[in-house]
Amino acid sequence: MRKEDTVKLISAEGFEFVIHKEAAMVSQTIRNMLTSPGSFAETEHGEVTFPEISTTILEKICQYFYWSLQYANGKETEFPIEPELTLELMMAANYLHT
Amino acid sequence: MSNQKKRNFQIEAFKHRVVVDPKYADKTWKILEHAIHEIYNHNASGLSFEELYRNAYNMVLHKFGEKLYNGLVATMTSHLREISKSIEAAQGDSFLEELNRKWNDHNKALQMIRDILMYMDRTYIPSTHKTPVHELGLNLWRDNIIHSSKIQTRLQNTLLELVHRERTGEVIDRGLMRNIVKMLMDLGSSVYQEDFEKPFLEVSAEFYRGESQKFIECCDCGDYLKKAEKRLNEEIERVTHYLDSKSEVKITNVVEKEMIANHMLRLVHMENSGLVNMLLDDKYEDLGRMYNLFHRVPNGLSTIREVMTSHLRETGKQLVTDPERLKDPVEFVQRLLDEKDKYDSIISNAFNNDKTFQNALNSSFEYFINLNARSPEFISLFVDDKLRKGLKGVSEEDVEIILDKVMMLFRYLQEKDVFEKYYKQHLAKRLLSGKTISDDAERSLIVKLKTECGYQFTSKLEGMFTDMKTSQDTMQGFYASHLELGDARTLVVQVLTTGSWPTQPGVTCNLPAEMSALCEKFRSYYLGTHTGRRLSWQTNMGTADVKATFGKGGQKHELNVSTYQMCVLMLFNNAERLSYKEIEQATEIPAADLKRCLQSMACVKGKNVLRKEPMSKDIGEEDVFFVNDKFTSKFYKVKIGTVVAQKESEPEKQETRQRVEEDRKPQIEAAIVRIMKSRRVLDHNNIITEVTKQLQSRFLANPTEIKKRIESLIERDFLERDSVDRKLYRYLA
Repeated sequence: MRKEDTVKLISAEGFEFVIHKEAAMVSQTIRNMLTSPGSFAETEHGEVTFPEISTTILEKICQYFYWSLQYANGKETEFPIEPELTLELMMAANYLHT
Repeated sequence: MSNQKKRNFQIEAFKHRVVVDPKYADKTWKILEHAIHEIYNHNASGLSFEELYRNAYNMVLHKFGEKLYNGLVATMTSHLREISKSIEAAQGDSFLEELNRKWNDHNKALQMIRDILMYMDRTYIPSTHKTPVHELGLNLWRDNIIHSSKIQTRLQNTLLELVHRERTGEVIDRGLMRNIVKMLMDLGSSVYQEDFEKPFLEVSAEFYRGESQKFIECCDCGDYLKKAEKRLNEEIERVTHYLDSKSEVKITNVVEKEMIANHMLRLVHMENSGLVNMLLDDKYEDLGRMYNLFHRVPNGLSTIREVMTSHLRETGKQLVTDPERLKDPVEFVQRLLDEKDKYDSIISNAFNNDKTFQNALNSSFEYFINLNARSPEFISLFVDDKLRKGLKGVSEEDVEIILDKVMMLFRYLQEKDVFEKYYKQHLAKRLLSGKTISDDAERSLIVKLKTECGYQFTSKLEGMFTDMKTSQDTMQGFYASHLELGDARTLVVQVLTTGSWPTQPGVTCNLPAEMSALCEKFRSYYLGTHTGRRLSWQTNMGTADVKATFGKGGQKHELNVSTYQMCVLMLFNNAERLSYKEIEQATEIPAADLKRCLQSMACVKGKNVLRKEPMSKDIGEEDVFFVNDKFTSKFYKVKIGTVVAQKESEPEKQETRQRVEEDRKPQIEAAIVRIMKSRRVLDHNNIITEVTKQLQSRFLANPTEIKKRIESLIERDFLERDSVDRKLYRYLA
């Protein structure tokens, strides 16, 4: 995994998730962050901090990114979501435009 | 969610992040405003996208969308005002460059702003029906920069000035031009059209109006067209380089209108270089150019076509009515063919094989060929000439080509039956004198005539060929049954079916005794093998070979002569001198034929086997003839042709004409009866049109003649007039 192909996502608690850019761009918001023409701090350092997203949720989100890449096209698998995460996850999804 | 039942799960009410700080909105907006400033100042690298996005997200979420939106408009507007000032300040050529640079900056900034305000674009704008950020940016640019009073006209003038400079041959920065024009297009097609395209077209029209005026005064037609074509291509090229592709049609329309449509007639009729001169000089390139250019404007092609047609008709008319030309029918037809070839190649080389032009060509030929009543005769004579000698040493394909061309002329003829008459005569002469070069060519032409006009047209011609074949067999049979005649076949008889051949009834002459005995033998043989037939000799159509010894030197020659000439010559076996009267009495040849045959033997240099007193060109009734003892010739065999008027003389022409008219009568009647049989009742005018239509493939029926035929049919009780409406005819049967 080359460094320029990855992006580091940092949770409110400071946990770091290093994932593929390709996966991260499932989120429209992250895609804009990384592709916007001006050089924002995120593009330069290859890391994005989410002070409003908890580690648990961010982990779930990263899982979803990979799941989405693999199965989104009509594969009949379910993405398991624990009910207690549902609400926060939905808010995050709205934020990330996923 | 299958596990919902297992656990007792309660959804908490959504907790709005309560805004404790009443200045929250202002604070957040300040951050964003600052960011926008930084973006415009190329200072974005220190900004955190996430932070800005989150702030904008929260503002929208906390119902400060409107504040955010208005703030954006105000900030952007103020930046654009600054930009506008710096563009206005740019001098001369740098104006466009500055404009282009700022436009690129603005575009980039706009995209960044849109990205960080994406959440607003997604949720707030659709619900309040406001303009999305990107479009808003373009609109603000348009209103503050392009439509600012100091820039709008300056931009327009600069662009038009650049185009004008390029038209006059200068090199301009096409890349910059393309970018600016692209900017106008990005701002909306109406901006492009109003701010650039419309004035551009007006200026272009003005420019080309002036230029075309200048050109037409000093250039000839060919040069003018070259220039027009070049301009047209330049404009098309210009469009591909830096204009909207939709402008192509508009600008080419302008050029077409100003340079071609407005000067069309003047160009076509230009003295010494107009269309007619191009046609005369076979200027394929110029003609092709004219075709392509005129093709683009309304009525362009029809103008060319009309001029070509009238020119063609005029020259054609001169060609067919020029008395000089009428002297040599072969030359006459050859010239027609050349003319046709010329225009065919013009149409295929320059006019794109345009069907309408071909039609115009055909109708013109049809028009002028039929102006001369002798065209059918001449065409037949042309074929005759070709089939007698013209095709010697010519390959089969070339023969086909010539015959096809003749057929093409034939198609133009209205009086095809006249052609048939002549063709029959000429064919008969060819066959009987054994002059036809190629049987294949003869048959090929007949097949062509057949496909063109149907079986009826050629049945008699084919009958002639059959007769020739049967005659050969008959001759073999005759000599087989008369072995005493030996191998020397002194008599060759061709039995011609009456009706198939153009025979003249009752023209006979007294044959020499030696001959008539032989003829009698054949007659009895023929009538013995075929019953119920009558034989009569067509002495005017035969030929004979006569062995003659001249003078004391004993010069021996074999003379190839006609039957009449042979009869005359035979008389000199028993006499030294004979007067015209004596010859006439002895042979009983019709006077006109006799004179002609004597003339050919006594008055033609090199062929004068006879001499006459007094020496003169013409044969008089009082002349006396004797054998020319001093006759010499390099050849052993001498062919003495009759002085044939190859063309028909005036009275003969009248006669043929009359025969043709006579032949037409039954055809018209047959047509009338055919039509009435199916229609039962028809009025006069309709009969005339139908009959004309039916007979068109053979000849153009004369309405008065049709009327006469109808009357004759009424007399014979085929038709009757309606008792109420006298214009109506009824079929009786």
